[in-house]
Amino acid sequence: MAAREPSRYLARGLPRTFVPSARSQAFLNRRNVSDEAPARRLSDQLEDLETASSLTTSVSESAASSFDPIARSKTRKTQLPRGRYQFRSPKYDRGPLHPHQPPAPSDPSSRLFVPGPFALPRAEQTYNSTVASDILTLCYVHTPPGFKPPPKAPRLREWDDSSPYHKNRPLRGPRGGDVLRLLRKPIKFNNIPKIERITLHSYVKEAAQDNSGWLHVAGIAVQAISNVRVETFKSKASVANWSLVPGRDTVAVKAELQGENMYHFLGKLIDVVLPRLKDWPGVKGSSGDSSGNITFGLEPEQMALFPEIEVNYDMYPPKMIPGCHITLHTTAKADKDARLLLSAMGIPFYGKIVQ
Amino acid sequence: MATGTNGARRAVSLLRPSRLDFGVCRSCQETIGRRNYASAATSESTTASTTPSSSAFPVVSPVYTINAGVVLSRPPQITRDLEPFEKAYFFYQKRLNERLALPFTKYFYFKRGTPLDEDWKKKIQARQTPARDIGKYNAYAQDAWNDELLLGAKESDPEYQVEQLVLDAESTANATSQDTSKKEEIPRPHPRVTEADKKGDQKSLNRLLPRTLYLLVQSKDGYWKLPSTPIQTQETLREAAERTLSQTAGVNMNTWMVGFHPAGHHVYNNRKPHADKVTGAESHGEKTFFMKSRIMAGQADLSASAEKLKDFKWLSKEEIPQFVTQQYYSYIKNMLADR
Repeated sequence: MAAREPSRYLARGLPRTFVPSARSQAFLNRRNVSDEAPARRLSDQLEDLETASSLTTSVSESAASSFDPIARSKTRKTQLPRGRYQFRSPKYDRGPLHPHQPPAPSDPSSRLFVPGPFALPRAEQTYNSTVASDILTLCYVHTPPGFKPPPKAPRLREWDDSSPYHKNRPLRGPRGGDVLRLLRKPIKFNNIPKIERITLHSYVKEAAQDNSGWLHVAGIAVQAISNVRVETFKSKASVANWSLVPGRDTVAVKAELQGENMYHFLGKLIDVVLPRLKDWPGVKGSSGDSSGNITFGLEPEQMALFPEIEVNYDMYPPKMIPGCHITLHTTAKADKDARLLLSAMGIPFYGKIVQ
Repeated sequence: MATGTNGARRAVSLLRPSRLDFGVCRSCQETIGRRNYASAATSESTTASTTPSSSAFPVVSPVYTINAGVVLSRPPQITRDLEPFEKAYFFYQKRLNERLALPFTKYFYFKRGTPLDEDWKKKIQARQTPARDIGKYNAYAQDAWNDELLLGAKESDPEYQVEQLVLDAESTANATSQDTSKKEEIPRPHPRVTEADKKGDQKSLNRLLPRTLYLLVQSKDGYWKLPSTPIQTQETLREAAERTLSQTAGVNMNTWMVGFHPAGHHVYNNRKPHADKVTGAESHGEKTFFMKSRIMAGQADLSASAEKLKDFKWLSKEEIPQFVTQQYYSYIKNMLADR
């Protein structure tokens, strides 16, 4: 026993010393989790999930063809009372101790339920399959091993204690204005910029001067192109020439698009509307609020190019079709990254690109 | 017994490179060469007292050939095929929406007495719902609960829905046109499966439209690989990648190189170090760094390739393992897109 043990250690240990480097062997021995990851097909996962799915089980032809839910329900002698199958959510919240509690908003019987999604938007698929990985490659910054970023000055400046009154004062904002810019972190796999939401906003000053018809038409037009119920807003400013009084006149409509609606709107904008604009140079390169949100405007005649308005253009009073401002909110922390994302999605920029 | 094993361990550890520590376990000793951040700091602090001249990263002669490779890809052209579950789910949600949404405001879209209005009345009679892609379903009827599709129903199929939309547009165009002599034809969308798919033509860029395709070339030895050539002196990786692309696959392509950094690498170790006949330098293998690139237009052309490449193919991620070695695929698979 004792004679055998050393030879085993020697046999295992000796060849290692004659390998040119420890590194090559280390690579051979390394195992990654991704090596053993199964091929990611959704169908396979579904099969794992539930073998007796209604999508996969085979049913005999006769059973399938003879199944008629309507006829079956009619053969019942007594129908179920309505309350047994049609649950109505309580209209008012009577507190957590009341026996009649509203269902979760994801329940179709809830009053807050919103159906959807209805499709996988093309713009979203393009982002996921092509744009996101390209942005990740483009924004990669190599830091060699042992690299330490140079220390930055604190974002909020301290008082220099030259006066006794500086004691316990709150810190000062940055130089050149008191706006604290967003921190831009290096773009990694988990913070690739993406489009978060889109805001359509239309300010109709004639709604205050003329009649409310302007606002109705603007609301219908924005609703038609966005598939989202609009909110209305009263004026905050006082403009004597437009006979605007703050808090009295309702002058603006806004729609916030998210998720599927947002990607459908973006697809229509990029593929249908923007290519048809005449003499449109693109979005101005200096637009943006320096925290990754880009805004541009469409004129009334450009709004009319949306297919939803075009299909029954006659129904809109031609003078009353509004223009609108489109704000693309992205998760990018700087306008530079937002512009990179949007130009990859297909929105052109022109002029001096301000970072 | 214990003394014997300890003696052997000590003998082995004496034969090992001396920079390794006795206090470090064996598995850690194997990986210690690549632990740069922590080990560099500790080794620097220990060696500083003994030999200040020796650095943590000794300069070694380049024993590997450095190659620049290109992952030239054609992004997906159309949306992906929906899974059966997704089709069923989306269809279910559409009918549910039909039940919950406010009724369709007909008078906003169709003026009374117009041919369009007459056409609309006929159609709403037939399908009982304003939506054109959910089949015959009345969301306001007594039996609106019967919204599930029966086995074998085609209504949830996207191809069927597109066909229904086209037929609807065609019938509207025919019913409202002044000229009754000729029939209107609404152009169908192009098929999702192309000619190249049917023929199995792997050289065409028109195949597998919902997938990303990658350019693979066959070297003169018969091995399939992503295009790559050795980097020349005084050349950046990006320049070398651009040169590689023009030298291997020709200039008849409109391509865009994504960024200046490689997206992946491949290391090939020779069994024995090869000695170069001219310079006498030993080569232990080759390391290839892949730059990402997109093709916008054109096609690969190997007729002028400097490496005498035999063949090329445009392959999806699933097809690549059939052509390359397992070791090569294990290096490149993580930089290829899922779709």
